[in-house]
Amino acid sequence: MFKKILIANRGEIAIRIMRACKELGIKTVAVYSDADKNALHVRHADEAIHIGDSSPKESYLNMDKIIDAAKKTKADAIHPGYGFLSENASFAGKVASAKLTFIGPSADSIRAMGDKAESKIRMKQAGVPVVPGFEGLESENDFNKAAKEVGYPVLVKAAAGGGGKGMRVVNNESELSESIESAQREALNAFGDERLLIEKYIPNAHHIEFQVFGDQHGNLVHLFERECSVQRRHQKIIEETPFPLLTPHLREEMGEAAVKAAQAVGYFNAGTVEFIVDPDTLQFYFLEMNTRLQVEHPVTELVVGLDLVQWQIRVAAGERFPYSQEQLTQRGHAIECRIYAEDPAHGFLPSTGVLLQFIEPRGPGIRVDSGFRAGDEVTHFYDPLLAKLIVHAENREIAIQRMRAALKEFIVHGVITNIDFLQAVLSHSDFRNGEVTTRWVETNFNWALPSEPSFESLIAAALADLTIVNRQPKIENRSGPDPYSPWKNLSGFRNS
Amino acid sequence: MKLNFNGVTLDISSNGKTFTLTLDDKTIQAEVFHTENGRLDLLVDGNRILAYVSSDNAKRWVTVNGQTFVLTKSSGAKRSGGKHDHAGELTAQMPGQIRAVNVSEGDAVTKGQTLLVLEAMKMEIRIHAPQDGVVKKLFVKQGQTVEREQVLVTMENG
Repeated sequence: MFKKILIANRGEIAIRIMRACKELGIKTVAVYSDADKNALHVRHADEAIHIGDSSPKESYLNMDKIIDAAKKTKADAIHPGYGFLSENASFAGKVASAKLTFIGPSADSIRAMGDKAESKIRMKQAGVPVVPGFEGLESENDFNKAAKEVGYPVLVKAAAGGGGKGMRVVNNESELSESIESAQREALNAFGDERLLIEKYIPNAHHIEFQVFGDQHGNLVHLFERECSVQRRHQKIIEETPFPLLTPHLREEMGEAAVKAAQAVGYFNAGTVEFIVDPDTLQFYFLEMNTRLQVEHPVTELVVGLDLVQWQIRVAAGERFPYSQEQLTQRGHAIECRIYAEDPAHGFLPSTGVLLQFIEPRGPGIRVDSGFRAGDEVTHFYDPLLAKLIVHAENREIAIQRMRAALKEFIVHGVITNIDFLQAVLSHSDFRNGEVTTRWVETNFNWALPSEPSFESLIAAALADLTIVNRQPKIENRSGPDPYSPWKNLSGFRNS
Repeated sequence: MKLNFNGVTLDISSNGKTFTLTLDDKTIQAEVFHTENGRLDLLVDGNRILAYVSSDNAKRWVTVNGQTFVLTKSSGAKRSGGKHDHAGELTAQMPGQIRAVNVSEGDAVTKGQTLLVLEAMKMEIRIHAPQDGVVKKLFVKQGQTVEREQVLVTMENG
């Protein structure tokens, strides 16, 4: 087993991985950029190495600096988390060349699946159903022809991509050229590769993915589905498992297709095979495979009862994954809500600032994977994910109730969040009926903040001014090393 | 004393441990029985209310019953005429970097046309023309870092 692991990531996922390492008795090394000098993930690690400027290119995407940090600290393995370098085959290769272990699949598997164009061709060969479309396009003319042949609306997406970056829905020809330009720019910036492919856009579909897991001795299984159709900007915000649309038969069929897809590229470690499912026909199509741990892995962990990150580390160290497909079952229901620093009332624009208050909910069946605490600054450099709120309950209905109660107790001040928005989605009958498809948020869901502040909020603000705010000592240095909190010098004040 | 949040004036008097608040011609009796780390346990007309309040200069972040409002405290004197109206001035909604400048000064543009592309948090935010008009002045260049509320471009109606 490894003695020390470097975590090439930040935020909640870096902390999540460090927890698994600690439980396994493995030392941890954090890396950080200028902006993350005081970040929570740095404090969780046994050692921390500064790797550069705040811009991701200079820090979390800088392969050489990360590998140097691993060598310098004598780490034996690197866990990439998700995003950043997690699906970068040349990084996985460089890690191996430096005689370190990359905690994830082989560089070849990443390469095969990372290229959305190549992976589609491979899947067709392996007999996995794929979305109709074209790969290998270059000139504007190629794109025009391909889009016409597939038929609008089409989806333009980065061949190297994932996570909704470099992806655009194009409704008609007049939008095509600007969408391509902007998708290329975003793709180049996010993945260093501007190639795009075009496929048929299936608007009213469920996004349902299968977790797969394999060891280096040939055992490869699936860990059931996750439904992730509640999305904005093609990025997931709510995920759950199991999903009622899947009959036992369909679940088995899709699970087998997922395993077949992974086997076709010699896969081991944790991966996710994404499908889109037409709810009317129950036809499913391979979308892509994410060759890494997913943001939403906790819902699977809760329902299957396994610690996926611990198993990632163990199989990377050469251990056998001891469970056969028949031994794996789903117990209860789990839902995840992603708490983002963004403003749903203004096009989900990211919101930045210092967290004045950050209180996570607690209780039976509630898990919070978070990367922030009060006093931290949310900057514009990175993804605006603050935390993941995950609940587990005996069935879907109770899980929804539990999530709604927990969201009410998640208090974030200082940046605008999507908490009220998530609450509204969960209470909508379409969500309760399991009828939310991937475009639902954009097209079917009318949501607006109440235009007037509530009566109670005005009273609370006034009473706070009289009892706390005016008594607070002036804090001059907001950017000092101590977390800024307007309340930190106050002891429990009692009026009576 | 009087306090004003978001244009609503609350008249408050304190009578030992209870407060009497008047707003919108309604009178409410309230009591603050505990405060701790920005959390207030209140009794408002006999109902227990748990509120979280944070202050940032004139801003108040208030969460009651799971719903969060951002209120602005004003200094009491009622403003007439509303806010300054910077018509034609387009500002950065958040800090970030200018990825692309698609227009030049003097260009005639149509409503909805993309003028600039701002990148923040790995996302592209397109700055569109709010109406048909002419680009009066460009204040930014490609690659430039901008702050929130910074003026990027001004427009004149065509």
